[in-house]
Order: sequence, then structure tokens, then C-alpha cells
Amino acid sequence: MRGRTAQFSLVAVAMVIGLLAVGQLRSQARPAEVTRLSAQELSTLIETLTQRNRELRTGLADIREQVREYTLLGSQGQSAIDVSREDLRRITAFAALAPVEGQGIVMIVDGDLDAIALNDLINELRNAGAEAIAVDEVRVTVRSVAIQGALSLQVDGVAIAKRFSLRAIGSPEGLLAAVERPGGIISQLKLFVSATIQVRQSESVQLPATAVSLAPTVGEAGE
Amino acid sequence: MSPRSARTGLRWGWVASMGGALALVGFVGYAQWNGSLARVQFTTSVQQAGAHAVLGLEQEQTELRAQIEAAEAEVQRFQESSTTSSAALAQLNEQLAAARLAAGLTRMRGPGVVIEIADSNRIVPAGENPANFIVLVDDLRDIVAALWASGAEGIAINGERLVATSSIYGVGASVLVNTAFLSPPFRVEAIGADGLLDRFMLDAAFRGRVGQRVELFGLEFATANRLEIELPAFIGNTRFRWAVPSEQVQ
Repeated sequence: MRGRTAQFSLVAVAMVIGLLAVGQLRSQARPAEVTRLSAQELSTLIETLTQRNRELRTGLADIREQVREYTLLGSQGQSAIDVSREDLRRITAFAALAPVEGQGIVMIVDGDLDAIALNDLINELRNAGAEAIAVDEVRVTVRSVAIQGALSLQVDGVAIAKRFSLRAIGSPEGLLAAVERPGGIISQLKLFVSATIQVRQSESVQLPATAVSLAPTVGEAGE
Repeated sequence: MSPRSARTGLRWGWVASMGGALALVGFVGYAQWNGSLARVQFTTSVQQAGAHAVLGLEQEQTELRAQIEAAEAEVQRFQESSTTSSAALAQLNEQLAAARLAAGLTRMRGPGVVIEIADSNRIVPAGENPANFIVLVDDLRDIVAALWASGAEGIAINGERLVATSSIYGVGASVLVNTAFLSPPFRVEAIGADGLLDRFMLDAAFRGRVGQRVELFGLEFATANRLEIELPAFIGNTRFRWAVPSEQVQ
């Protein structure tokens, strides 16, 4: 009898522990993570997510338009090939395998920038919506990264002088505002590096294709 | 030992077990209350509204990405099922497949490495900056830079495939990669030739900052070589608004 009571007590205690543990784990999941952000951080996050969702909606509309074109053409004939050829142009431009042109900004950097600073600048431009970027005549690809070479910075194996240009295609106003905002990348860099950074909008930015092969050597298309 | 002292020993054992279990209940109960909804009420209404909006935007994003993935698959089906059989078409389809692979728009599989990094489990000592003990956006950027510099051919962070337009952006202690809001632990997967992990561990971008932070502050960090991993395809907007291809691709 006494043993039975003890068993019941243990089961009851174990159940309570289980319930509390599950509740605790749930309360530590994502919603709590979000509520830990400050009001200012949440505001930035909402603004960023809203902008990204807007871009996704625009992209979705474009893909649906492409599907509509294929549907109308019935996957047949020269016209369907033309649509596919246009798609190839788009994808090669996206991957930096083709030269591109458009409006954007031009930054002239002069001074002692380290690899981290240059990578941060490129990241900031991407975050601000840059569609294509080049450091001098080196088109930035997904794999491009600035490294400190023996004598100078290098991007994709090309030496970058102390004075170089960073050109980006995208909304000129948006890109300029992003890099020049108070507390933004330029004002941050001014605290850490000895360099001048001049930025201007440009009506016509022309960027070359990458000179580097992006064809994987060990990676292959998955199922 | 006499039967009486054996019973006394059992009783004490029983008391100790129950005491331990009740102490655990108390501890978990306290922790539960500490993180409960009732406590969340203390956060400001602005924060609650903001958090609610973020979750709504994330849900919307999940749906948009699913729709994009489905529409892209439909485009590829049209391209692959074209009834026009010609050498030109075959070549075009090959070029499309190669361009998609290079751009990160299709899944990629191959040998590679997995790197995991998470916040430190150490108790923050008095006077120390708590930010030192959590994974920062710079840590992820350094890891990614070191992987590319070491010859990686494709990278994904928590399932987010990196492409030419990808940014890794910090919002407080959280991180946005592409369009997705990610939280630690972070799992970075990279495909690359044999020796990728060794080159990564020796790379200046890794050793310079994040490697030191792992040592100094005890950030949770683990690496592993894999004979085969598969990276997901990038799902997002690949249509340019401002940049126009300036030469016809042959």
C-alpha cells in the first residue's frame, strides 16, 4: 500500500516536471526572442522585413508573368526559346557572369582600408539593395571576398590600390542614403580607418562580368 | 546492517529523492513563471505590437517564398518540357542549368563542412559586456568570408543559400540573411574541395576576430567534415529592377 502511494507520488511529480519543462521550453522559443528586442530594433526589423517582402512580391509577379508567357506560347517554337534565352540573360546577370548597366552610385575610397572594412562596405551595399557591385574592374560575385594580400588588398586575386572605386547599381537615392546615414557604414569607418570616402549618384554605371569561373569543381546540381 | 537500520536508510533515500524532485519542480516552476506570458506583460505595449508585427511579416514571407519556389519550378518545367527539339535548345537548357548552379538558384551537393556557432554558456562576469558572450553578425560575416577565401563553392546559413545579392545584416542580437530573420544557434554549411576545413581554420578572416572570441568568451563552436552535404536553392527575388544586361549572352 505504502509502495503504491509512493509510485503515484513519483508519477505525479514526474508529470508536473514534464509539464513545466515543456512550458519553459515553449516560452523560450521564437516569440520570446522577438519580444527581447528593443522597440528601436523592432522598428528597424519591421522596416527591413516590410521592404524585403515588397521585393519578394515584385519578384513573384515577374515570375508569374514569365509563366504566363510560357503558357501562352505553349512551350513550342522559336518564341519559347526566346523567353528561355531572356531567362538566361537574366540569370547570368544575376550571377555576375554578364556585364550590366544602370543607375547607381560611385564611391571613391582613398586610404588605408583593411579587408574587413571593404567586406563590410560591400555587405552594406547589398543590404541597401545593390543589384550588382564592382571594386574597380572586379565584378563582385557571391564568392568574392576582400583579403589582405602580401602588398595590398585583393579581390578575386586582383590587387586593389589604396585609391579605388566601388560602384553599385541600384536605387541611387536608396544606396546613397544607406551608406551616408548617421551611424551608417561611412561614419563608422571614419572612426576606425584612415581613408576618405566620396560618394555620388550616377545615371549610368557600367559593370563588367566577372573574370572568375563560377562553375563548381566538386559541387554538382542536387536532386 | 540490522533490518531497522536498513529501513531507516531506505527512508532517508526516499526523502532525499522526493526532496530533489520537489526542488527541481520549484526551480523549473520559477523559470517557467519568469518566462511566462504574465511576465511578458511587463514589456511595453509598443514592443508587444512590434513583436506581433514581426511575426506577421515572417509568416507573410514564408508564404511568399513558397509561392516563388512553386512558380520557379513551373518556369523550369516549361523550359525542360519544350517540344522544340534542336541542338540550339539543348545547348540553351544546358547553359540555363549551368547558370542556375553557378548563381545558387538550384540545390548543390558535394563534399564540404558544417560549422555551428552559438552563444556562450558561460555566466557573464560582473563588469563584462554581455554582447561579448553572444554570436554577433560580425562572427557570421567572418566565418563566411573565411569559407569563401578558403575555396568554398556554395554556402548556406541555417538553410539560407547565399547568392551574389545576399547580405548578412544585424538587428540587435539577431541576424537577417537574405530576407530571413535568423537566431542562434547558427549552422553554416559549405561545399568545397578536400581540405576546406583546414584552410578555413587557418584563414585570417577566421583567426582574426571570431576565432579569438570563441577562445576568449566561450562561444559554442563545432566543426565537421562531411563527405556529402546538400545546400538548398536560393528562394527569393532574382529579377533586377535597376541593372540591365549590357551584352547578349551567346
